[in-house]
Amino acid sequence: MEQTFYPTFDPEEERAVRTYAPAGTETVLARLLEEPSLAAAVTHHATLPARDARTAPFPAWLDARIVRGLEDRGITSLYSHQAEAVEAVHAGEDIVVVTPTASGKTLCYALPVLQALAEDPSARALFLFPTKALGQDQVAEFAGLAKASSLQVAAATYDGDTPAPIRSAIRTAGQVVVTNPDMLHSAILPHHTKWFQLFEQVRVIVIDELHTYRGVFGSHVANVLRRLLRLCAHYGSNPIIVCSSATIGNPAELAVQLTGRTHRLIDRNGAPAGARHILLVDPPLLDPATGARGSALTHAERWALPFLRAGRQTIVFGRARVAVEIILTRLREALREHLGPRSRIRGYRGGYLPTERRAIERGLRDGEILGVVSTNALELGVDIGALDVSILAGYPGSVAGTWQQLGRAGRRQETSVGVLIASGSAVDQYVIHHPQFLLEGSPEEARIDPDNLHVLLAHLRCATFERPFEPGDVFGPGPVDELLAFIGEEGHVRQSSDGRWYWSSENFPASEVSLRTAAPENVVIIDTTPDRPRVIGETDLFSAQVLVHSQAIYLHESQQYHVDKLDWGERKAYVRKVDVDYYTYANRAVTLKPLDVFASEPVTGGRRVHGEVMVASLVTLFKKLKFGTDENVGWGPIDLPELELQTTAYWLTYDEADGPGRAAARWRKDDLDVALLGAGRAIQTVAAVLLMVDPRDLGLVTQVRSPHSEAPTIYLYEAVPGGIGLSERLFKRHEELIAGAQALIEACDCDAGCPACTGPRLDPEVNGKSLALRLLAAMRAQRGVVGSAA
Amino acid sequence: MTAAIGLERRFANFRAGLPARSEGVPDQAATRGWDARGTSIGAERLAAAVDGELVRTSRGSFVRVEAPSTLLPVDRGRLANLPGQPPADAPLLCLDTETTGLATAAGTLAFLVGLGWWQGSRFRQIQLLLPDHADEPALLTELASHIPRDGWLVTYNGRGFDWPLLVARYRMAGANPPLHAGHLDLLPLVRRVFRHRMTDARLASVEAELLGLRRHADVAGWEIPSRYLDYLRFGEPGPLVDVVRHNDEDVRSLGRLLVHVDRGYADAASWSEAPAGDLAGLARAFAQEGRNESALGCLDAALASKPQASAVYSVREDDLLAPERARLAIRESRPDDEPWWSPRRAPDFGGRPGRYAVGDAWSAADSSRRDAPWTESRMLTERARILRRLGRYRDAEAAWLALGAARGAIGTLAWVEVAKLREHRLGDLAGAVEAANAALRLAERQAWLGRPLPRLELALGLRLARLGARVARRQATSATRRRIESSVGTPSMPGPSTASEPAAAENMSRAVRSSAPSRAPSIAVATRLARKTSPAPVGSMARLDGIAG
Repeated sequence: MEQTFYPTFDPEEERAVRTYAPAGTETVLARLLEEPSLAAAVTHHATLPARDARTAPFPAWLDARIVRGLEDRGITSLYSHQAEAVEAVHAGEDIVVVTPTASGKTLCYALPVLQALAEDPSARALFLFPTKALGQDQVAEFAGLAKASSLQVAAATYDGDTPAPIRSAIRTAGQVVVTNPDMLHSAILPHHTKWFQLFEQVRVIVIDELHTYRGVFGSHVANVLRRLLRLCAHYGSNPIIVCSSATIGNPAELAVQLTGRTHRLIDRNGAPAGARHILLVDPPLLDPATGARGSALTHAERWALPFLRAGRQTIVFGRARVAVEIILTRLREALREHLGPRSRIRGYRGGYLPTERRAIERGLRDGEILGVVSTNALELGVDIGALDVSILAGYPGSVAGTWQQLGRAGRRQETSVGVLIASGSAVDQYVIHHPQFLLEGSPEEARIDPDNLHVLLAHLRCATFERPFEPGDVFGPGPVDELLAFIGEEGHVRQSSDGRWYWSSENFPASEVSLRTAAPENVVIIDTTPDRPRVIGETDLFSAQVLVHSQAIYLHESQQYHVDKLDWGERKAYVRKVDVDYYTYANRAVTLKPLDVFASEPVTGGRRVHGEVMVASLVTLFKKLKFGTDENVGWGPIDLPELELQTTAYWLTYDEADGPGRAAARWRKDDLDVALLGAGRAIQTVAAVLLMVDPRDLGLVTQVRSPHSEAPTIYLYEAVPGGIGLSERLFKRHEELIAGAQALIEACDCDAGCPACTGPRLDPEVNGKSLALRLLAAMRAQRGVVGSAA
Repeated sequence: MTAAIGLERRFANFRAGLPARSEGVPDQAATRGWDARGTSIGAERLAAAVDGELVRTSRGSFVRVEAPSTLLPVDRGRLANLPGQPPADAPLLCLDTETTGLATAAGTLAFLVGLGWWQGSRFRQIQLLLPDHADEPALLTELASHIPRDGWLVTYNGRGFDWPLLVARYRMAGANPPLHAGHLDLLPLVRRVFRHRMTDARLASVEAELLGLRRHADVAGWEIPSRYLDYLRFGEPGPLVDVVRHNDEDVRSLGRLLVHVDRGYADAASWSEAPAGDLAGLARAFAQEGRNESALGCLDAALASKPQASAVYSVREDDLLAPERARLAIRESRPDDEPWWSPRRAPDFGGRPGRYAVGDAWSAADSSRRDAPWTESRMLTERARILRRLGRYRDAEAAWLALGAARGAIGTLAWVEVAKLREHRLGDLAGAVEAANAALRLAERQAWLGRPLPRLELALGLRLARLGARVARRQATSATRRRIESSVGTPSMPGPSTASEPAAAENMSRAVRSSAPSRAPSIAVATRLARKTSPAPVGSMARLDGIAG
């Protein structure tokens, strides 16, 4: 198959788009939309009107020094959501603030904390940020505000980079301690006796970027918070919890699950915004038979260039480091002769040194830097000011992430533009053809299951280490005695003569629990590129089979690594940094056996079930696929033992005989096989979008005749031991899944099935698309449409 | 919720899904643990096994073991002369704990606390042993009653481990840790003074290598936690007998070590008997407290007893100064890499955290390993430094010049020190240039011999350039001043070392002018000048010239 990765421009066409002189954002956008080849690819163009600020005066109780500090910084009143949040915290309510990027979230928690410190310098606050960089950024901002208010506040980050001599000072004197969940888990909680000043006096706990605590990580963090609050209670403190989150479908529910407390939802944004154009772009289909599409990278470059030439500050997001480098190189080449120093266009990604990153952030704020090409490293709250244009080369994987990236463009007064360009993947295609998905209330949910037994038991060990349990004590879902007796069988805990449960082992349990994986046994990923090899990550055995097998390309913080060797016996994967233009995909051969049914209900055309399953997985070979085109450029064998995974699953069985006139339309067995697989793929895609997970987190198995139900069945199982609550939600959102899958396949331009809908065509004679649609139609509820899928 | 599956059902499925673990041995173990849990019968058996007394209090019970006291006289007044020692009238309490783990975190238990103190010239010892988790408050209360408010704790690695762990235990029990006046951790002292002749810094090595004691059938440290945890689970106190004896010996060794230090080192009169290396280490301890006079006395004593010392360390200096030293020095600047008992670990005397040692040329040359033997040149180096700190710059200069004669890396560095002294303290720029050139010559010789000192050479280049600039400035001002002074009187420069000022200035300018493009004339100048100041380097220069030529 002959295919050009980056089609060259037609000079005529490009000239029409060129604008050299400085121009307004609106003007450039209007010119771009006159260009037929670009306009044709726009699937949706929404204009969000400008919004005025809704403000409220500073609360009367706010310390005069803080008011002065704010006024010095040019802040004379609060936005309505800030005022609401600050008042609620002052009244002792737990809150969750959900407002877009750059709406002044920091003040919502900074003001109550500053007020508490102004009233009582012995007060303490704990800030949790998901990443180190974010924590350091926020501590600087907070300290700046404290200084402006002429308050002496000791605010410090306590993370892996904090030098040992400074640590003890922070433990005893740090009034505001900024850290991340991993540090809290392994360094602060087990050593709580050294932190007693913090635990005794903590008034406010801030949990920022709540939506990032989902899946396995979120389930762990929920348990870390259970431990934290248990210790606070022991030391006699009862802190208020302030959460902030990007826009997701279930922020309040997630906050409850994470903290075990009910939070007041604050989501009426009072910050002003200029008008915004949001454009969804789907690069045209190049080959209807295979489903090959134009490159998102090329389109991103074509959209970015005219804005940059007109002097508009523009950010381009790429999904991987290699994508960033490609776009950056091409933008710089195109701009050199027109824009002076190339350094006005910069790259930004995880691997850069902190000083470099700070310089770029500063450059963006003061306008020195015109354009930046970034991985999602700039997605979270790092302060770069507001830009004119944000272009996303590929859907970032979640609606929340999309808005955070789009939100990088959005000035208070002027018009801004956000462009989302779809790649050829099924998830991208689904989102790009459902604009209401992005624009009308997010249907995606962050799911966690803090009661996953693998996770719960791991943290129960840690909690016992930190403080003995009284008989009948409750940790999370219920009394702990039975679970502790179970752990006691290994000898790690024991019940003493006073009835309490004590830790009774030499081990340090927190060091054995990684917050990133559910199962205790993990494969450690070791980067051998530097002189001193270092551990860059961990993955559970089940994922390791497909992620870090020998010769796999492993992606970590947008950097590609080649797995030189997977030592299965030692549970170690040795990797080194590479830059290649392909990724690897391992085929998993799976057999699945239902163990227990938790819930089962009849639905149109069959039955939906939620239950527990045993999955046996064997991985035998992998493919190398080229970025952008998914062209197969090689393969290799994998020699790993079979693994068993006990997890939860959602499945639906199809009843051929059910429904009016259905018996007449009998299926051929081969057709049914193709239909189940195609429909299953589409359902898997929709499920991944709805629950904010990678499609790989949901395994798909289809059986033409399931030994269990004796009927055609589609299983979606969670690729995490014990599951994290995804399947339960899928069971509930069944109708949305069916409707969404149908819409996804119908909207696809391909002839008879492609990787963006029903999966690659296995047999040119078979029309996977129509077969899958036939099956889905039979399972589609006849009454009104559920959810947002059309 | 439709599918709100209860924890019980999930737990049942979870257990069912595990590979058959819940059958067989562990179950049996758990049952046995059940029977044995902390009944008073268990505690009584424990007390009987370790030959102790079971003390019952309202907060629980503990086992008190008292060993017969031993004669161990110590002269506290004399001991207080040493650096870091408690005042003579403060009561001392030797303390050592046995624990269930190595982390000083919340879940680690100090199940045995050994205490020892002096009653006249006798050393008394008791031990407090915990029968069960639940009894901990009783043990902590008893321990607090033994710690006098005006007393000093004496421990081995207690600053980093035993005491923080006990503090954590008190906090866990909701109590404040007992107050005391000070804490003498003997580990840093042992590191400072004795590590040059010890295999490692563990207390067992102290006993064997300093006190000449051998323990028989001692229990290994790593075995101790599991012996206690097994007792908790299965109720068998037998294996703890060795642990109690081990702890008893540890506490007694704290007392013995203090006596050893008191007798051998506290009085300057006894220094002539001590190994030179010990004294050199002690000098460092004195110097760290700012007691430079005592440090100097210590070093002089060490150098006086040099003959035996150099017999012991017949290692050639050049072997110790292999080029990879620089690399080692960089590693050295990360003291946390080493386990606590390693002789290479930096001593921690408490107080404000110091900066990590910079891996500079000196640490590369003279102590790239903290446990490096105290060679004569290393002691002389130390002595010269202390002279400088005492403000005896002339003596310091002489000491460095003597070292400069030794050539090698140390000689090179000694000449650098001479240059610094002359420039900053003696106001002798000409001499400084001359010394810097001598250092450069030696550095080049080192390079010739395949032991290059690239960073030092670079630093020397910069130093010479800077000196050149200063000389030029000085010349300009002195020319002006001469014009003025010729009508006023004779100026007195602070400490001109070699020639009269105009001659020196001339030499300086020549030396500096020539040093940059070609080194040959500068060597001539340096050699000529060196001949006037110290005879030592001249020979080496001549030989060097021969090699270079």
